[in-house]
Amino acid sequence: MKRPFSYKLNIFLFLLPALILFLGVLIAPIVMSFVYSLMDWNGLSTPTYIGFKNYVELFTSRSINISRALQNAMLLAVLSVCIQLPFALILALKLSQHIKGERWYLAIFFMPVLISSVVIGQLWIKVYNPEYGVLNALLRSLGLDSWTRIWLGDKNTAMGACLVPILWQYVGYHMLLMYAGIKGMPAELNEAAMLDGCTPAQVSWYIIIPYIRPILRVSVIFAVTGSLKSFDMIYVLTNGGPMHATELPSTLMINLLFLRNRYGMGSTIAVMLIVLCFVFALLINLAFKEEK
Amino acid sequence: MKKLLALAVAAMMLLSLVPAFAEETLTLWSIAVESDSSYQSFIDAIAAFEEAHPGVKIVHEPTQNEQYKTKIKAAMNAFSDLPDIFFTWGMSFLGDFVNAEPSRVLCLEDYYPAYEAELARNMCANASYDGKLYGVPYTMSMVVLFANMDLLAQAGWDHIPETYEDMQKCCDDLLAAGITPFGVSGKETWCLTEYLEPLMIKSVGTQKLIDIYEGRASWNDEGIIAAVDAFQDMVKKGYFDPNAAALGNDEVKNNFIAGKYAFYQNGSWNCGDISKSENAASFKAGLFPVLNPDNASLYELIGGPNNTLAVAVTTENPELAATAAFELGRAMSDADYKSGANLPCWAADPEAQVSDLVAQVVEIANNAVGMVLFGDNFLSADAANTYLDYVQQAYFLALNANEFAEGIDADMK
Repeated sequence: MKRPFSYKLNIFLFLLPALILFLGVLIAPIVMSFVYSLMDWNGLSTPTYIGFKNYVELFTSRSINISRALQNAMLLAVLSVCIQLPFALILALKLSQHIKGERWYLAIFFMPVLISSVVIGQLWIKVYNPEYGVLNALLRSLGLDSWTRIWLGDKNTAMGACLVPILWQYVGYHMLLMYAGIKGMPAELNEAAMLDGCTPAQVSWYIIIPYIRPILRVSVIFAVTGSLKSFDMIYVLTNGGPMHATELPSTLMINLLFLRNRYGMGSTIAVMLIVLCFVFALLINLAFKEEK
Repeated sequence: MKKLLALAVAAMMLLSLVPAFAEETLTLWSIAVESDSSYQSFIDAIAAFEEAHPGVKIVHEPTQNEQYKTKIKAAMNAFSDLPDIFFTWGMSFLGDFVNAEPSRVLCLEDYYPAYEAELARNMCANASYDGKLYGVPYTMSMVVLFANMDLLAQAGWDHIPETYEDMQKCCDDLLAAGITPFGVSGKETWCLTEYLEPLMIKSVGTQKLIDIYEGRASWNDEGIIAAVDAFQDMVKKGYFDPNAAALGNDEVKNNFIAGKYAFYQNGSWNCGDISKSENAASFKAGLFPVLNPDNASLYELIGGPNNTLAVAVTTENPELAATAAFELGRAMSDADYKSGANLPCWAADPEAQVSDLVAQVVEIANNAVGMVLFGDNFLSADAANTYLDYVQQAYFLALNANEFAEGIDADMK
């Protein structure tokens, strides 16, 4: 009778440090954020309980305008799934075909992931500079002067201009995930398909892609939740401007927390982001499950 | 021999520890990074204080302006790891820390009398709360219209326009001569307020603007609407650099110094950089003309004592920290004045050699009949950001002057 109890106690004791870490680092901040989201608090005075007023204000205030931030985040998520991931998949399929210089290409495509977003942001600010930027210079040299723009300063072009470096930066990350999945496939699967007369395109479509579906699911989850949480590149490129045209929930949250001293409202956006990430992760899991 | 050597080394190590035990260390947080016009003044002021107070060491930790706001607010919020002395802006920025529960800032009222002869009480208004002093103001700044007289001459003007109508005529002449009248950063919204606020004060007058900021009068006011109308008129007529939306303030300032714009309206702290340029003789300091002479006059200005040093309540040595704040403030005031980085809050050295541009700005300040601090410093953090939002929308013509006044009035309530 004593052994099973002792066995369970051992399991509990061994899991306890991880549990404490999990509760302290992940669960406690979420709970605290939820508690603060019910408060009117400037970060310095005593918080006042106001129920769900912050949530009501978040979705009704013209000044905060969360709908614009959510629209931008959703646009980023859709483009990540529809452009970034297919591009990463094509690269992964091509590189896994034992092409010459495979490792070099892998390193080159993965390099933007290793470079700090601040550095990449600064590089793209130079590219988009209306006077000496490469983009406008290229357009002028092609005689397309009327196409030149103040790319990051015009509210009609700023979001598009920000999307390019954000999508470009993480292609290599998803490519590497998919490449690892493809390389982990048993070789006989491909060989059998080839012997049966499949073209390389058919092997990719009917054999490789279904096989790496768990990895594709992880990539989709990372791309969607990453888009919802996206912050650094937009912060460097436009800081949410001009006129909030590139505002994302996270930049709005920083603005409310540290510029407006509205810690209660900032926590409300944090809670909303956590809920959205969970919901989207569950929906994506469900979508991939149904396909099975 | 070896033993002797070992003993000597040990003795030297022990001796080197003595000053470390005797030394008192104070930490100072500021925004004076190397590119800041006050950087050298801080370094010199700290060196002078350390020399006058043997055994005291000041550890200076500068951070870029925008990041600094986040850093100091996060530290104040956590109420831990606060520096002994910190740079702050006056009015609402420092006020939030003073009025926190418990207050994060040491009251300096008891230490002030020793310096009263050099730092007048009226200079301390933006660092005083409920009549008590919580910060040491060291420099004051105000919005100045810097003009490139060479470019004005090319458009047929030998002086800065003195009436609003003349200013419009001058801008039209400049455009006709292929010269951009004004340089502004549309990327940094506070730079837009450097154009709108002088228009507002010269349309409604000093007291009315203070009443509006303090909530005693409505934003939905004819004078405010007229000011925003005039501001948007400047945008529509192409008086501002068409690339302004993508430019930061430093780029705009450099463009102005390089002769790209005829005017640059910004803080008086730019005097130092402009005076140091090769073509310094081309520049002159003036004021934007009056919009409504019935309500305002030329010398009603935007600005005031603002750059301040305060002492955190958590400091282990309040007396030393307070003394350091006052003495550093005095030294900074003098050094920034002489370098042209800012105007002094403390009694200035009458024999100080300053540039022509600084002398012109001092003359403007001496003629001031009213001053209102910069809107984003005057208003509380939340209100200031709402206000900046509306200013940005006005610049990008996303709303008209009436919508600006009605919208901001509703949101401020």
